[in-house]
Amino acid sequence: MSDRTYEILLIADPNLGDPEVDALVALIEGYFQKEGGRIQKVERWGKKRLAYLVGRHREGFYVLFVVEGTGQLLREVERRLRVTEGVIRFLSVRVDDDLRKAERQKARRATEEARRRKRTAARSAASQEGIKA
Amino acid sequence: MSTPSGRPSRSTARGAGRSKETKRYFFKRRKVCKFCADKIDYIDYKDVKLLSSFVPERGKILPRRMFGTCAEHQRKLTEAIKRARAIALLPFAAD
Repeated sequence: MSDRTYEILLIADPNLGDPEVDALVALIEGYFQKEGGRIQKVERWGKKRLAYLVGRHREGFYVLFVVEGTGQLLREVERRLRVTEGVIRFLSVRVDDDLRKAERQKARRATEEARRRKRTAARSAASQEGIKA
Repeated sequence: MSTPSGRPSRSTARGAGRSKETKRYFFKRRKVCKFCADKIDYIDYKDVKLLSSFVPERGKILPRRMFGTCAEHQRKLTEAIKRARAIALLPFAAD
């Protein structure tokens, strides 16, 4: 099965100390690696206020993982996250398709723009010719 | 925008069915979708700053006509807001 790109954003318990967060991140990296996922990025956003209460927490420690892997990988990781202590919430999103589409859109716009610029340049050059003649 | 005197300006005439005395002010309508104008192709649910500019105080998602977003981008915006809500970046309903 072909690989997908997933973003997993999770909220860790804000009461964890720095070393504990490190341990948690390492643990979760381990989940991905064990299932054959390639980790592209790990981002720690730090402690942020939650928009609403999750459990009894007002704030949470956000960590973002960007991973390449199969659907099976994600299923297994999600199952593990649900039972991992210290993770109060997580969200996983498949992003490859949407990002690819956005990329294509950007490329299309760029060529469109280039064509338009060329056309107007040609036109103004032609009008300059007309004035000279 | 100058209107000939004696005639109501277009914006008041558009206040559909209301009496002329109640003067109503409208926000100047933003004509184009912000995402089209700024060339944002991917609306990221993690971009709270951007999303919250489309979510009023109360936390509701407003209809398209309020922000002038195009159909495609409204769809993506809605999705992004819902994702952001799921992970507590945006409120479901603010109190």
